Amino acid sequence: MITVLFFGPVADRVGERQIDVPFREGMCWQDVRDELTPRYPEAFALVSIAAVNGERVRDDVRTPLADGAEIVFMSRFSGG
Amino acid sequence: MNDAVRLQLEDFSQDEEVCALRAGSMRMGGIATFLGCARDFSEGREVCEIGFDAYRPMALAELQKLRTEAIERFGLIEARIVHRLGTVRAGDNIVFIATGAEHRAPALEACRWLIDELKERVPIWKKEITPSGEAWVTPHP
Repeated sequence: MITVLFFGPVADRVGERQIDVPFREGMCWQDVRDELTPRYPEAFALVSIAAVNGERVRDDVRTPLADGAEIVFMSRFSGG
Repeated sequence: MNDAVRLQLEDFSQDEEVCALRAGSMRMGGIATFLGCARDFSEGREVCEIGFDAYRPMALAELQKLRTEAIERFGLIEARIVHRLGTVRAGDNIVFIATGAEHRAPALEACRWLIDELKERVPIWKKEITPSGEAWVTPHP
C-alpha cells in the first residue's frame, strides 16, 4: 500500500489528510498523481511540489516506488 | 538547552535563543536576528489568528539542512531557527532566526538567506483567520 498525505490548502480541498493507494509493482509517484488528479481536480490544481519518503522529487525523474512508500502532494509553502 | 532547530507550539524567548547561540563561542563579533510576527491586518482585512500546518518530519529535516548549509556557505560560528506551529494570535511571534559570525556581514547575509530559503523550501502553510472566515495564504516575496 502507498500512503498519500495532504496538508494545508490541498488537504482542505481533498477533504482528507491521508488516503491509501494500492501498490503495483513498478509504479512511480507520477502514476499516483495521475490516478488521483481526476478524483480531486481542485486539490491537484494547487499541487506544485511532491515528496516521496520525505524527500522532494522531480517531475522528470521516474523512480519505482517501494511498497509502503509515503507520498505527499503539496502546494507552494507559506511558512515564516 | 533546546535544540538549535525546532518546530514547536509554544512561544520562544529571543533572549534565550541568543544566549544559546553565544554559549559555544566567544569569537562572535556579529549576531543577526530575524523575528517574524503575526500581523493583525492583511490583504485589506483584519486578521485575528494565524493557523499553521506542516509536514513535520520533512519541515524539521529541511530546517536542519538549511542551518547546516548556512553555516557552511557563510562561515557562521552558529545558527538557530525556531518556527511555531498550531495557532498564534495577531501580534504573536512566529519564527526566529539567529546567526552568529566573526563579523557582521556574514551574520546579516545568512539571516536574510535563511528566512528567504525557509519560505521556499520548508513545508509549512499558514492560514489567516479573520472575523469573516479563513483563507490559506498565497506565497509572495
